[in-house]
Amino acid sequence: MKITEEIKISDNGFVFNSKTGDSFNLNPFGLELIKQIAEDKDFESIRDVMLEKYDVDDLTIEKDFYEFYALLKYHQIIAPGDPLDFK
Amino acid sequence: MSKLKYEKPVISKITAGVPNKFGLPAKQRIISEIDGIPVPDLMEEYGSPVFVLSEKTIRDTYAEAKQAFETRYPKVQFAWSYKTNYLDAVCNVFHDEGSWAEVVSGFEFEKALSNGVNGSNIIFNGPEKSEEDLTLAINNNACIHIDHFDELYLLIETTRKLNKKARVAIRINLDAGIYPIWDRFGFNYENGEAWNAINRIMLADNLEMIGLHTHIGTYIMVASAYAIAASKLSNLYMAIHRKFDHWLKYIDLGGGFASKNTLKGAYMPGSETCPSFDEYAEAISNAIISSEIPHENLPVLFMETGRALIDDAGYLLTTVLANKRSTAGRRTMVIDAGVNLLFTSFWYNLGVFPSKEVSTHVEESTIYGPLCMNIDVIRDAINFPSAKTGDQLVIERVGAYNMTQWMQFITFRPNVVMIDLEGKAHIIRRKENLDSLQSFEVKPNK
Repeated sequence: MKITEEIKISDNGFVFNSKTGDSFNLNPFGLELIKQIAEDKDFESIRDVMLEKYDVDDLTIEKDFYEFYALLKYHQIIAPGDPLDFK
Repeated sequence: MSKLKYEKPVISKITAGVPNKFGLPAKQRIISEIDGIPVPDLMEEYGSPVFVLSEKTIRDTYAEAKQAFETRYPKVQFAWSYKTNYLDAVCNVFHDEGSWAEVVSGFEFEKALSNGVNGSNIIFNGPEKSEEDLTLAINNNACIHIDHFDELYLLIETTRKLNKKARVAIRINLDAGIYPIWDRFGFNYENGEAWNAINRIMLADNLEMIGLHTHIGTYIMVASAYAIAASKLSNLYMAIHRKFDHWLKYIDLGGGFASKNTLKGAYMPGSETCPSFDEYAEAISNAIISSEIPHENLPVLFMETGRALIDDAGYLLTTVLANKRSTAGRRTMVIDAGVNLLFTSFWYNLGVFPSKEVSTHVEESTIYGPLCMNIDVIRDAINFPSAKTGDQLVIERVGAYNMTQWMQFITFRPNVVMIDLEGKAHIIRRKENLDSLQSFEVKPNK
């Protein structure tokens, strides 16, 4: 899980992808999540932080996280993993 | 320390689309109650999905239409279009308000009689009238609107067999300046077919010609089309008087007034673009009053308005089953009401609203029904806030046609509830069950 190098994220939730020219808006929770992903945290540790801080259950976090993650991949914000990671 | 309020994480692409002078509404509209009853209470009591009809809205809309016509024309009579919604409770509200019944089949005719409508207050339209249907209509002294020559001759034959007179009008199709011209119902005005039919009827011993009828189309967004139709019928009305020294009793302009729903592909919402009852009434009344017809011989004006009188009174309450992302990243949502219940979703962009405060984040979404079929799409594209599984939504303006054209498919048709003027809810059609559906089936004996 790595944010692509070309991605720039501002503190107010604006995201710019200099590779594709696309720009995005994040809501506050999306911003918090993407910052943690940028810090190279894995899902389990992100979940634990969120459960500690927010009034939410683990299944909702998991469902929403993977939906958000799929969107980040779709928008090329997250770098694709190495398909040859078994080498 | 209390925890912070959670909100689903969202990322949305910024797109510079075609400039839109309307923009997005500043605040998502919410429908939390219907006639004072909270949506969750209705769904807890009557299940999900559930159709809810507001008696107050029906009566208020009817009063508005009636006032629009009666302040412009001296003799107006509405006839409730059964095919639009023939649930007995709905029909009885209209009959209670003074509406006659407008029916298009033997089944609807019998339903009107069973609702206590006097046979002479039933208008019998439609292209399908069997000898049995015509006999029922003649015996009940109904106004039979003849659709084609075959029906005319069948009617003459039936009156001879019964040795009774039938009260008739003819259905006329005409060019009212709008496209498409509905020429499939009745006799054509412009090519003289209608005049030929009138002459044949006037010569028939057992037929008493009492009116002229036209139905120019449905969801007519131009009031002036009715003015053209009314003026052509007024010409025929005078021509009949001149040739036969006979004053007809009425002119019937049919239905077709648009409701406030928005047609698919429309740029502006229907609530902004559709003519008001006042505009329709002004066009029709003015055309008849300013025709050659002397004031003392003005016909009764019949209106068979259906859609515009009932659409606003109907709601469908539904529950979110799932949220998904399409392969293209688009948000999609599955709800528990499909196109089998919402026939009008094929031509309208139905309004779908949350029943409580939800996220302020709005995203273009597709709303699917629960059927295992690809065509089951309630909205192709709607800006909608994120809703969770189990959230309750309200679909508005579904009172017309959905409760008559619905299909029993895969699951049971739901409860239909009416909220009366005192704010009490009553089931007016029970949810189907396995027994009720299987009662029609017969297993062959081996």
